[in-house]
Amino acid sequence: MEKQQLSKDPYNIVITGVGGQGNVMASRLLGNMLVRKGCQVTIGETFGASQRGGSVMSHLRVSAGSVWSPQIPKGRADIIAALEPVEALRVLMRYGNPEVMVLTNTRPLYPVAVIGGELDYPSPEEIGTTIRELSAHAWFIAATDEAIKLGNPILGNIVMIGAIAGTGELPISREDFREAFLNSMPATKLDVNLRAFDLGVEKVKQAGGLKPVPAPPK
Amino acid sequence: MMSKLIAQKEGVEYLLMGNEAISRGALEAGVSVACGYPGTPSSEIIESLCRVAKEGNLYVEWSANEKVSMEVAAAASFAGMRSLCTMKQNGVHVASDFLLHLAASGIRGGMILVFCEDPGALSSVNEVESRYFAPMIEIPLLEPANFQEAKDMTRWAFELSEEIKNIVMVRSVTRLSHGSGNVIFGKLPNTKRQAEFRCDGPILDPDTGLVFSAPVVYKHQLQQEKIKRAEEIFERSPFNTYEGPEKPGVLLITSSICYLYCREAISLLGVEDRVGVLKFGATWPLPPSFLKRHLSLTDKILMVEEVRPFLEERVKILAAGMAPEMGIKTFYGKETGHFPSVGELNPDLVVSALGKIMGINSYVGMPADYEKKAQALASTKTPQRDLTFCPGCPHRASFWLIHNALQMDGRRGFVCGDIGCYSMAILSPAGGFGVMKTLHSMGSGTGIAGGFGKFGQFGMEQPVLTVCGDSTFYHAVIPALINAVHHRANMILIVLDNGGTAMTGFQSHPGLTVNAMGEEAPAVDIARICEAIGVKVEIRDPFDLEETRETINRLLEDEEGVRVLILRQICGLSPEKKAAKRYEVRIDEALCLGENCGCNRLCTRIFRCPGINWDRQKKKARIDEVICAGCGVCSSICPAGAIKREEAA
Amino acid sequence: MEDGGMGQRELQREVIDTHLCTGCGACVGLCPYQTSYHDRIILLHPCDIKVGRCYMFCPRTPTNLETMRKSLCEEKDLTPEIGAVKGFYLTRATDEQIRKDAQHGGSVTTLMTLALREGIIDTAIIAEGKENFLHRGVAVNDPAEVKKRGKSKFIVSPTVAEFNRAAKGEAKKIGVVATPCQVLALAKMRLKPVPVDEGNIDKLKLVIGLFCGWALSWRGFMELLRKKTGLDAVVGMDIPPRRHTLEVYTKDGTIEFSMEEVNSCIREACHYCFDTTAEFADISVGSARLPGRWEETRIWNQVIVRTQRGDDLVQLARAGGLLEFREAPGEALDELKKSAMEKKRTALKSIAARSGSSPDLLYLDRFDPVVRMLQG
Ligand SMILES: Cc1cc2nc3c(=O)[nH]c(=O)nc-3n(C[C@H](O)[C@H](O)[C@H](O)COP(=O)(O)OP(=O)(O)OC[C@H]3O[C@@H](n4cnc5c(N)ncnc54)[C@H](O)[C@@H]3O)c2cc1C
Ligand code: SF4
Ligand code: SF4
Repeated sequence: MEKQQLSKDPYNIVITGVGGQGNVMASRLLGNMLVRKGCQVTIGETFGASQRGGSVMSHLRVSAGSVWSPQIPKGRADIIAALEPVEALRVLMRYGNPEVMVLTNTRPLYPVAVIGGELDYPSPEEIGTTIRELSAHAWFIAATDEAIKLGNPILGNIVMIGAIAGTGELPISREDFREAFLNSMPATKLDVNLRAFDLGVEKVKQAGGLKPVPAPPK
Repeated sequence: MMSKLIAQKEGVEYLLMGNEAISRGALEAGVSVACGYPGTPSSEIIESLCRVAKEGNLYVEWSANEKVSMEVAAAASFAGMRSLCTMKQNGVHVASDFLLHLAASGIRGGMILVFCEDPGALSSVNEVESRYFAPMIEIPLLEPANFQEAKDMTRWAFELSEEIKNIVMVRSVTRLSHGSGNVIFGKLPNTKRQAEFRCDGPILDPDTGLVFSAPVVYKHQLQQEKIKRAEEIFERSPFNTYEGPEKPGVLLITSSICYLYCREAISLLGVEDRVGVLKFGATWPLPPSFLKRHLSLTDKILMVEEVRPFLEERVKILAAGMAPEMGIKTFYGKETGHFPSVGELNPDLVVSALGKIMGINSYVGMPADYEKKAQALASTKTPQRDLTFCPGCPHRASFWLIHNALQMDGRRGFVCGDIGCYSMAILSPAGGFGVMKTLHSMGSGTGIAGGFGKFGQFGMEQPVLTVCGDSTFYHAVIPALINAVHHRANMILIVLDNGGTAMTGFQSHPGLTVNAMGEEAPAVDIARICEAIGVKVEIRDPFDLEETRETINRLLEDEEGVRVLILRQICGLSPEKKAAKRYEVRIDEALCLGENCGCNRLCTRIFRCPGINWDRQKKKARIDEVICAGCGVCSSICPAGAIKREEAA
Repeated sequence: MEDGGMGQRELQREVIDTHLCTGCGACVGLCPYQTSYHDRIILLHPCDIKVGRCYMFCPRTPTNLETMRKSLCEEKDLTPEIGAVKGFYLTRATDEQIRKDAQHGGSVTTLMTLALREGIIDTAIIAEGKENFLHRGVAVNDPAEVKKRGKSKFIVSPTVAEFNRAAKGEAKKIGVVATPCQVLALAKMRLKPVPVDEGNIDKLKLVIGLFCGWALSWRGFMELLRKKTGLDAVVGMDIPPRRHTLEVYTKDGTIEFSMEEVNSCIREACHYCFDTTAEFADISVGSARLPGRWEETRIWNQVIVRTQRGDDLVQLARAGGLLEFREAPGEALDELKKSAMEKKRTALKSIAARSGSSPDLLYLDRFDPVVRMLQG
């Protein structure tokens, strides 16, 4: 495995969402894909109580050669992938900066206080403009809705991994996803997951990806 | 699919979770027996070992509680094998009585205690520091600082343990246990030890005599000699490292994950040539010569650790003794207010403390104008996300019923809480409806309720209830229940039996028919235990709302002694339930009364299952089919019959 | 009433917390927020609706009695003491079995059975005695079921809650047997103060009111009873007129409780009650006040007919020979009026004591003509 050149070192990714959306699985899959490519990866994660409807966040630090802290310093995210729109805003407030890229699943999950009526949830338009204001690039992806079409809403997290790959920011390919997936998941589920991954890549490209996605090796 | 944890190849590199790295370290050390009690953030160590138990020829168990787990592991050590026990921070306190006697009796095969702490209490109701047990009980303490070390130090801890013939503590923290990083694998041993307990030799012989803490003073003396030996070993330990310039302006002394925060802070400030990091992996007993060598490098020392000033205090004590030769040093840390002594640290906190000492204020984490803009735009659009019971969770229904029954009873009854998912009930919006009023440690709900239940003679008229989960019942409720029964306390114990240790991810417990390794096991029945203790037990389904509510009210009216009600319904997240929705649930908008008199949004305003949303435009409730677990309970609470449920296909 | 709220919060503050609640059940069964347990009304969860039916229907929230008298009765029939009087009779059931299973003359049971049989109503809501004196309202369709549920229940039954429930269902024509507070609640509903479900109240086709001096609180009475007898032994009770005692009939004979003993178990709300004769019913029925021994006279009822539909039903019973009539002694009506007035006077006193100021009459209006008459 040759050492990877990254556009920044460490390259900082935040995957955020709500407990139960498959945040942890997404960050580990992505981490495994990157380790396959010879990167040093550190993932910072907290799970447990927050799985019960709370906000969750995984920090991925990707480096050519060193181990970084499992917590990204304030204002230092390079990509934020949000499985839930308001969580993108929450993460931007602490880790955002003018250069950050944001990928947002558009399907809201309402906090109990919103369901109860004490708090308001912003409209999709408000979320959209705010994220655009606070980022250099923003993509909005109906990941859960696409996942439902594929038969299981949980696949939204894989659509989002595809979307991250689709930006071309990281040295990862479809093949890396395949391998990483098979390393931890049953092969029977590969097909539908690959489709979810492809969909994510597709969506970002349709919306004008940044750079061409590395082609899978022949 | 074979777990990568038992990959034979040496030198391969994998992304491992800290807890998995610890497991691999134990496997590389040739561990035979691993036990623990589930508790975030420690659970994945035993879980991942369970998965390789067969191939690895291990014995792995989820024990009934932490103390028992340590005892089982100790037996393995007495039989000459290597053993591991794991728990979360407060688990050490549960096990401590045994631990202190074990430390005095000494061990045979290498034995380590891995305890995973939760600075900042991300998933706990305490952030207690158990490092203090090391000096208190006089056993060595190791603190890995990254994922590779998590593996390597675990492995080495066994060697150390055998070398000094005593148990060794290994401390992890949430960010390490639940974080992941690259780990290069070492060799797996291909032989396992034979189990034999040698006990026919001279009574004081450490290898063949009695395993016992007496004669106390003699054994205590021995124990302190072991610590002296550990200290000597730590002087040369590769896990205690210094990196940085020869004459740093400031020396950071740190341990555990804070080491990575220190490195990050140095890099962010760009002060690699002026700041050194002294990292302790072998933290107690602190090696004095090693320490002195590095203290001598500089005059300014910043102590960086979580949560309390454990190292700080010990380093200062040693430094005081060295002062005549070494001179007086200036220490910064928690005692000077450079760091808080509560909560967890992060790179930014280290940047600011270090910047303050060095007079650097040029570091910008987030550009000020961006921060202002982000605050202005986003802070009003990020509604707080409180924890809540999951959709389909039986606890929501149980607390709904307990709440209603207590309201109807009308004597201001209350619930003493206990530890588990249902602890969330103490936060009213989460679905506990405000009935839970105390919350402490495992099993203490029953103990406290047993106390309240005796205060009739002092005029107490409020009915007293307590709840506990099935796993908690075996862990620590039984003695408290026996106590309450024997003393005729007037109380009701409601066992929220959801068929597993849900909070930490469905580990097995003695009530199940399968053990940690997936083997068939005799289930120990809670109802029969209660009956044997002499308590009347009733069993209900919390999803049968009316019948169960009536039962609770009836039990409240029986004012005699201890009553037990088991509310049995499988956890919504359990593997078997998650797969399938029992009901397809939908809202008939024509019937939904919404905000009108007659309903006023009972489902979304009060019941608050996250599966139901309130459509503010239409002014109707709406089921979010992605989130709804299909339990169908909401259809029984809807006053208008607007929530329709049909058996799912 | 803060910022004009007339909802659950005010109900709690003005009625429940002040112990004015009669337990009638008018606020129960309309929504999921109130329920009744034993003889108490329970607020299960908070409701923040500004104007709620619970508050509007409750007989202990402010009520304009004068409007009610004028809209529900014929003005010519009105008396200040006992409301509208179209006719005043002494009656009893001709059916001996009914009499045996009834509290007094069985007139109520007879009239209710008849209304069902004639299709004047299809559903009768009556009180059912339950074990431990925990009564409740039940809806029945079969006249035979009415006969099984005679006799007075001296601990409140949340009967109006059962009306609320039945009105939401299949029933089209409902008749209710109710105590004065319950009758008042039903009357308030009939005025339709809130525009929700108004179709349901139109199903109310007949209200038979019971005279009522007071009812008992469950907890207090249970304690009193336990001191003197086993709960299982009780077969019935009564409050004989003029005697100032409570009689409890047991398998082993009658136990008498003095008013002193009973007073402590009277439901507090009853001290604030302004109505003895269920003034807004179609027909009101109580025990007869006749010269002679109580044991003999108790098998007769006094009946006040107040409305046309009440009169039609009583005449139907007379024509069918189901009720036997007897000449009422001249002084009977006056005596009734006097005792009704006495209850009103005491109520005003108790209310003023509760509110702490004599012009503040809580749910009553100090400008109401009857109130002014009493206050002189
Ligand atoms: C609490 C209470 C206090 C009373 N106080 C007096 C009094 O002071 N002076 C007086 O003259 N009469 C009083 N009565 C009325 C009296 O007891 C008889 O109910 C009445 O005379 C009718 O007798 P009856 O034989 O026709 O009744 P029955 O034919 O026995 O029929 C009585 C009907 O009333 C229903 N019922 C019984 N209890 C209740 C209740 N608590 N709420 C609603 N419905 C009920 C029964 O289901 C039954 O249908 C009181 C009644 C009650 C319930
Ligand atoms: S059926 Fe109702 S209560 Fe159950 S999960 Fe779905 S929305 Fe929640
Ligand atoms: S008097 Fe009747 S309506 Fe008023 S609070 Fe009591 S039970 Fe409810």
